[in-house]
Amino acid sequence: MNKDTKVLVQGITGREGSFHTRLMKSYSTKIAAGTSPGKGGTQVEGIPVYDTVEEAVKEHEIDASIIFVPASNAADAIVEAADSNIKLIVTITEHIPVIETLRAVRYAKSRGSSVIGPNSPGLIAPDETMIGIMPSRAFRKGRVGIISRSGTLTYEVAEVLKDRGQSLVVGIGGDPIIGSSMLDLAKEMEADPQTDSIVVIGEIGGIMEERLASAIARGEIKKKVVAYMAGMTAPKEKRMGHAGAVVYMGMGTFQSKIEAFKRANVKVAKTPYEIPEMI
Amino acid sequence: MKLYEYEGKILFRKVGIKTPNSLLVPPANDLPKGKVVVKAQLLEGGRGKRGLVRITEDASEAIKQMREEGVEKFLVEEYVPHEYEFYLSCMVDRDSQEPMFAIGKGGINVEEEGDIRTRVVSMERGVRFFDALEVSKFMKANPEEVMMVMRGLYELVLNYGVELAEINPLAVKDGSLIALDSKVIIEDNSLIRIGETLKSLGIHVERPSAYVELDGDIGIIGNGAGLTMATMDMVKIAGGSPADFLDVGGGADRNHVKESMLKVLRNPKVKKVIANIYGGITRCDEVALGVVDALKEINKPVYIRLSGTNEEQGERILEENNVKVYHDVPKMIGDALRS
Repeated sequence: MNKDTKVLVQGITGREGSFHTRLMKSYSTKIAAGTSPGKGGTQVEGIPVYDTVEEAVKEHEIDASIIFVPASNAADAIVEAADSNIKLIVTITEHIPVIETLRAVRYAKSRGSSVIGPNSPGLIAPDETMIGIMPSRAFRKGRVGIISRSGTLTYEVAEVLKDRGQSLVVGIGGDPIIGSSMLDLAKEMEADPQTDSIVVIGEIGGIMEERLASAIARGEIKKKVVAYMAGMTAPKEKRMGHAGAVVYMGMGTFQSKIEAFKRANVKVAKTPYEIPEMI
Repeated sequence: MKLYEYEGKILFRKVGIKTPNSLLVPPANDLPKGKVVVKAQLLEGGRGKRGLVRITEDASEAIKQMREEGVEKFLVEEYVPHEYEFYLSCMVDRDSQEPMFAIGKGGINVEEEGDIRTRVVSMERGVRFFDALEVSKFMKANPEEVMMVMRGLYELVLNYGVELAEINPLAVKDGSLIALDSKVIIEDNSLIRIGETLKSLGIHVERPSAYVELDGDIGIIGNGAGLTMATMDMVKIAGGSPADFLDVGGGADRNHVKESMLKVLRNPKVKKVIANIYGGITRCDEVALGVVDALKEINKPVYIRLSGTNEEQGERILEENNVKVYHDVPKMIGDALRS
């Protein structure tokens, strides 16, 4: 992902779609086209709109898609993008039922596409491109990669690290089922020459953080990793805002995540404000 | 959305899982004679440990006693003698991204004991006889019966928007299976699609709330689950004790912020409020207006961090109304705890 990445906006005529198209464009993201069923032939911010993804990819070269389609149709939008062989599908939409996400994400994977999200704030390579809804003021070009399950906490940590700057920041989304995991992104950052170290922002629920920690312990990730986990004081079996932030059957507790990182010799920050001195 | 035991059992029967004969009180007037089980219908767990599940010959007396403890709804069930008890649940496994069964010996401490085996059953193939055969050996039950129960739970997860369908205990009696309890959680995101189906089955549908009550005296409010959780954790680390947790969500407007703030302020345990807002989609001026509106109705000390989109406007609105604004979270928490 770089300044030349050509982006399609699915749901470009909606309230969020049009608003963030403008913001992404002003961040100099290359937006090639948009889609909105029934609005084909119109324009948003001077960007041509098509009824379907299929029509858009016939006319334009597309590397990535960002989805602002409402939850009721967002899973279809993922499948549609995958069918047109778009390799990176960033899904901002939240509240997609888990089973629908599961089916769509598996289909996209079977077609060789990567999905970021759903319920993701997107990704940003500062000074290059932003495919997301992040407030640009928090980011500056640098060499720290950030992988996060939480939107606002990403902004907070990015801002705390502003002096250092970031190479790539990815909000992978807070839902129980998401397309790309922490480990998937950590492997990409491990291979990225622009990234020196990685900050991981996790939270209770699921075992994605534990899986990343095991891979670090096995030596698959060699770059320096600092972790922060939210939800230390969350009561058991209560959903803490995010659909994914809930502990079932004792899996994915705050303690199990912290212990997994400690076993892998990863420093764990107690608060987001400790991260800069640890990295 | 968590279902009551009796509501979960309505779904169980719908998908072919056997449950004991039962009556809901109220509305049932005539209570059965003889040995029955009276179970308080509450959404929180741990009923057994609190004496709210009773085997009795006198249902009306058990109901009377539990009413005195504030219970309002009861399930009166036939007593089912049985040989073994097991735990069986189905949910989507986040790790394998497949539906997964969890099987264990039944009992009230099943989660702590950790003696649970899991079995992933891919969506592409669904539950097959060999799955049931394998599980039936452990359960000492008839494999056809095991398959009925597994298929039922599986159908709930795939077709009814259920995120957790759990039976504990699942009783084995002469090789046949009967669900003595139910724990069913409907995924909030599915409610819009299956709400009508649930209503038609007599299941009460409630709008999900992001509000979580805790034990302390400081109200916690934020935008975004991660930031709100982090704020709650930092308050605890600094020696404070959160009274509740409320994520106002993304893009909250003046009215939503006001209602959210009031929800926290109305909690009698809340002595002061810590609000942590980083505006992205959310606009700080809308947040400020909502906070000011809420404080006009209930006035308690509010410590607010307000950064991000439209922060200057938001800051001005709050300061005009004598609410101090912070940008530094640790300083805000420190000041709030010292006050």
